[in-house]
Amino acid sequence: MLKIENLNANVESTPILKGIDLTVNAGEIHAIMGPNGSGKSTLSSVIAGKEDYEVIDGLMTFEGKDLSELDPEERANAGIFLSFQYPVEIPGISVANFIKTSVNAKRKSLGKDPVSASELLKLMREKMSLLGIKEGYISRNMNEGFSGGEKKRNEIFQMAMLSPKLAILDETDSGLDIDALRIVANGVNKLRNKDNATIVITHYQRLLEYIIPDYVHVLYDGKIIKSGDKSLALELEEKGYDWIVKDTK
Amino acid sequence: MTLIDNLKQYAETSHLSKESQELFGEFISKGFPTIKDEEWKYTSLKKIISESYTLHYSANKNTFKDFEKYFLGFKNKIVFLDGKLVSSSNIKGVTISDYTSFKNLSNHSSLDFLNASLSKNGFTISVDENIQIEEPIEILFLNTTENIFSQYRNCISIGKNSNVKFIEQNKNVSDLNSLSNNFTQINCAENSNVEFNKIQNDTARSKLIDTLNVYQKSDSVCTVNTVIFGGLFIRNNLNFEQNGQNAESNMNGITLLTKNQFVDNHTFVDHKNANCRSNELYKGIYLDKSKGVFNGKIMVRKDSQKIDAFQANNSLLLNNDASINSKPQLEIYADDVKCSHGCTIGQLDSESLFYLRSRGVSLEEAKGLLTFAFASEAIQNISIAELRSLVQKTMSNKLNVDIEL
Amino acid sequence: MENKQQQEERLLEEVTSSEYKYGFTTNIESDTIPKGLSEDVVRLISKKKNEPDWMLEYRLKAYNVWLTMEEPDWANISYKKPNYQDIIYYAAPKTKPVLNSLDELDPEMKKTFDKLGISIDEQKRLANVAVDVVMDSVSVATTFKETLKEKGIIFCSISDAIKDYPDLVKKYLGTVVPNRDNFFSALNSAVFSDGSFCYIPKGVKCPMELSTYFRINESGTGQFERTLLIADEGSQVSYLEGCTAPMRDENQLHAAVVELIALDNADIKYSTVQNWYPGDKNGNGGVFNFVTKRGVCHNNAKISWTQVETGSAVTWKYPSCILKGDNSIGEFFSVAVTNNRQQADTGTKMIHLGKNTKSTIIAKGISAGKSDGNYRGLVKIVKGASNSRNFSQCDSLLMGDKCGSHTFPYIEVNNDSSQVEHEATTSKIGEDQLFYCNQRGIGTEEAIALIVNGYCKDVLNQLPMEFAVEAQKLLEISLEGSVG
Repeated sequence: MLKIENLNANVESTPILKGIDLTVNAGEIHAIMGPNGSGKSTLSSVIAGKEDYEVIDGLMTFEGKDLSELDPEERANAGIFLSFQYPVEIPGISVANFIKTSVNAKRKSLGKDPVSASELLKLMREKMSLLGIKEGYISRNMNEGFSGGEKKRNEIFQMAMLSPKLAILDETDSGLDIDALRIVANGVNKLRNKDNATIVITHYQRLLEYIIPDYVHVLYDGKIIKSGDKSLALELEEKGYDWIVKDTK
Repeated sequence: MTLIDNLKQYAETSHLSKESQELFGEFISKGFPTIKDEEWKYTSLKKIISESYTLHYSANKNTFKDFEKYFLGFKNKIVFLDGKLVSSSNIKGVTISDYTSFKNLSNHSSLDFLNASLSKNGFTISVDENIQIEEPIEILFLNTTENIFSQYRNCISIGKNSNVKFIEQNKNVSDLNSLSNNFTQINCAENSNVEFNKIQNDTARSKLIDTLNVYQKSDSVCTVNTVIFGGLFIRNNLNFEQNGQNAESNMNGITLLTKNQFVDNHTFVDHKNANCRSNELYKGIYLDKSKGVFNGKIMVRKDSQKIDAFQANNSLLLNNDASINSKPQLEIYADDVKCSHGCTIGQLDSESLFYLRSRGVSLEEAKGLLTFAFASEAIQNISIAELRSLVQKTMSNKLNVDIEL
Repeated sequence: MENKQQQEERLLEEVTSSEYKYGFTTNIESDTIPKGLSEDVVRLISKKKNEPDWMLEYRLKAYNVWLTMEEPDWANISYKKPNYQDIIYYAAPKTKPVLNSLDELDPEMKKTFDKLGISIDEQKRLANVAVDVVMDSVSVATTFKETLKEKGIIFCSISDAIKDYPDLVKKYLGTVVPNRDNFFSALNSAVFSDGSFCYIPKGVKCPMELSTYFRINESGTGQFERTLLIADEGSQVSYLEGCTAPMRDENQLHAAVVELIALDNADIKYSTVQNWYPGDKNGNGGVFNFVTKRGVCHNNAKISWTQVETGSAVTWKYPSCILKGDNSIGEFFSVAVTNNRQQADTGTKMIHLGKNTKSTIIAKGISAGKSDGNYRGLVKIVKGASNSRNFSQCDSLLMGDKCGSHTFPYIEVNNDSSQVEHEATTSKIGEDQLFYCNQRGIGTEEAIALIVNGYCKDVLNQLPMEFAVEAQKLLEISLEGSVG
């Protein structure tokens, strides 16, 4: 589904990603772990097409299509969803309106007519109950005045509404208490099927107790220095990152 | 001929009272303001007044019923057609009449003198004490005369404890050239609550200079919302004078300009008494070659302690040919106050744009949505639901975004 | 026991009655010319200074421009306009000392410096500062000349520069502040008697702070100094200036012009601690400080103005940056204190002409007594200055209910890729802050000192270390008794 080869990317001419190789197939869950500043969030932004990042070298394809030629919205409509580490507040736009706009953008890209308001509301209610979101929430302004947990839940809600093929969860667990974490993780698990894939980016092993990864990758200084199965995450939790860094050196 | 010649000629031929003659003389000696005048630094009338105008409305057989499409649909209406009051609703506790003479001047600007000396049209509205009117009163000035120079002079007096809302519009019925120099005074008695909405969405060749002076007694609240979409040239002078304690003045501005439109919003709040408040929020969106000017002054007089005054002016420049000049000012002579102003000029936030695009929304649509969102904080402050949705609709049409739901 | 209100009033009274401690005169014989201004006077000044013809022509041209101009009155200040025929335009210590070291300085003058608290010797030792002292418009002492010369740095009086480096002076004088820029700059160009000149060669980082002290001493004189500072490509310099004047019950005029030129990649930091005599508490006497300061930044250059303004009866001063080159940076950090009947109208202009230019304005005003403080500023971004940024913050603190504080920013933006953010606040010292301090055992006076200091911190931090300490002391003195 997603294939990344030798990806190199800069921010304001400082190299951040220094040769990433990663292949994600349908039905898989990949966890990317690494200390602060290792390039985790950069990787997710680069996949989603943020313009502040300059791709210097390498290839990214999604279902065979070269991503470098696609705008962020084209990538989204192709099925890539990024759950933001810091979701943006947009005062003046309601959650409902925001979701309607993005759902219809996707339908338009598929040549479909816009969804009717009643149908959309029905679908929203369905997903809201799945994620334990209260009525009234969707008329609030987008992320404005939301707690950290509410913002993250809003991200997963949008994911549920857009049913992406590839979901990238960037530090979705940060700022969540244990109950919220469980709800969000349950949501992610319920939305999972054999046709979609998930990349979970996290500092801690905690989230991976709820979303069980098939693969765990350690990102350090812009490179994946070790890959393994879920036991690697436990090992990291126990020993920290230093031992891998030493090992690879 | 230029406007000044038109005016002189008109003054000579219209048998002015002695007082009017004196006022007109004052205007002539001062002349039209120029950009050397600090209050007109960024706003030039030169081109506008170099044209020739007529000061006489042409006769027409239309009745206001022919122009129903301009009404917003409220029950209470006051309609002027080519200077004449042609319709006014019967509202309990409210007296509406044609303009009656009042000459008191507020800021002694030359345009004030011009309006006071030659204006023949306008209304006086008196609202009794203790009157609560739910339904807003719609005021419509219709014009059918090409090249008209018009001057309305209006006075609204609100009795104690009364609560009234107004919506005012100037409209050319077709694409006419016009220049208006209007003057409105609102007197807010103790504990009254007034909302005055100015919807400025006139035709492409209309030019408007509008002065609104609000005099507030203690415990009164007055809110003026100015919504600007249409017109070639607009200068709004909005002045508040607080003449009692615990008064509150609120201003909201929403400006969305395209093509070569020009708008200058001049506001002034004079805190002359203690324990008062003012809130000001002006949002401007400038597209194409449009130009905006904002000049907001907060004055706190000596001994006017415990004043909370807040002013914000935020502008989006969305085209390289658009420009904005902003002058937010504080003049403070009392120490126990909280006054602030903030002014931002810039573009849409790239983080937010990326967020929307990462959800599949096209760049164009994302820009439209965020622009709409930018203005909505000020739109939310309009209390009349029908008006709010009208403004939202006009705005979303202009920006080509869908904001239903 | 005095209640809170009485206490506050007493503190205010103390604040408003603080005395100017630099108000002594020095008994040095000086060479003055008769009062008044005419073409002959301009010629006389030029002659006394043995100037070349081109300089005389420059002066005469300026004088003729000045004759056609009117004194500006747009600022929010009111004062009795000086009678320009009642001012002595040239006063110099009679025998201009040629010094190799400060030890040769007239002992009377040295005493003056000591009283000023400059203590040149000490500074020389401790702070590694090169000092040029200008007294009554004439440069009397320049230290560290030799040390600087090794690096190719020229630091001397402008009179010497006119003689010794005419090409540099001719090339740059009047390029940033032209004669006809304004009434006071024209006047200055016609009659300036001295000032400082500084040239930093390509790629040189000036090894020490350069400093000039200005002092008006003679009665009835005006001070018209001229400063020209050129930082050649890739060079770096930090420049300090300080000023004082004796207490006199007449108004003295100070109309200086400062021009800074930062060529490509150069970096100039210009700091001022202005402490001219502010007049007494009834508003008698004091210096009229009408100053034009402006710098031009070429590509990637940076000019940073820092000022602590505590003196003068009337201040009219807008240190500005013309951001001509791409990627250039302008900064303005200001603390302006007014007390008694002082008036200040000060601020900056940031003119963005180049692409990707950035400017920052931090202005802190403190008004006490019956004074008025004004911030007036312009941020202008022209169409070609794409991707430019400005951030401005103007805060005013009012102490007492008889003073005023005003903010007049002008913001002009003409393209769709630039961003401007302006914030301004006006308030008094928070009662909760005071209470918090009191509760922690800090007395009200000390608490106010603490709070004012914190309020000015962003600006004071910009000053070079040894100046910051002095500025802090000056703030204390200006608001003496209760405020530090």
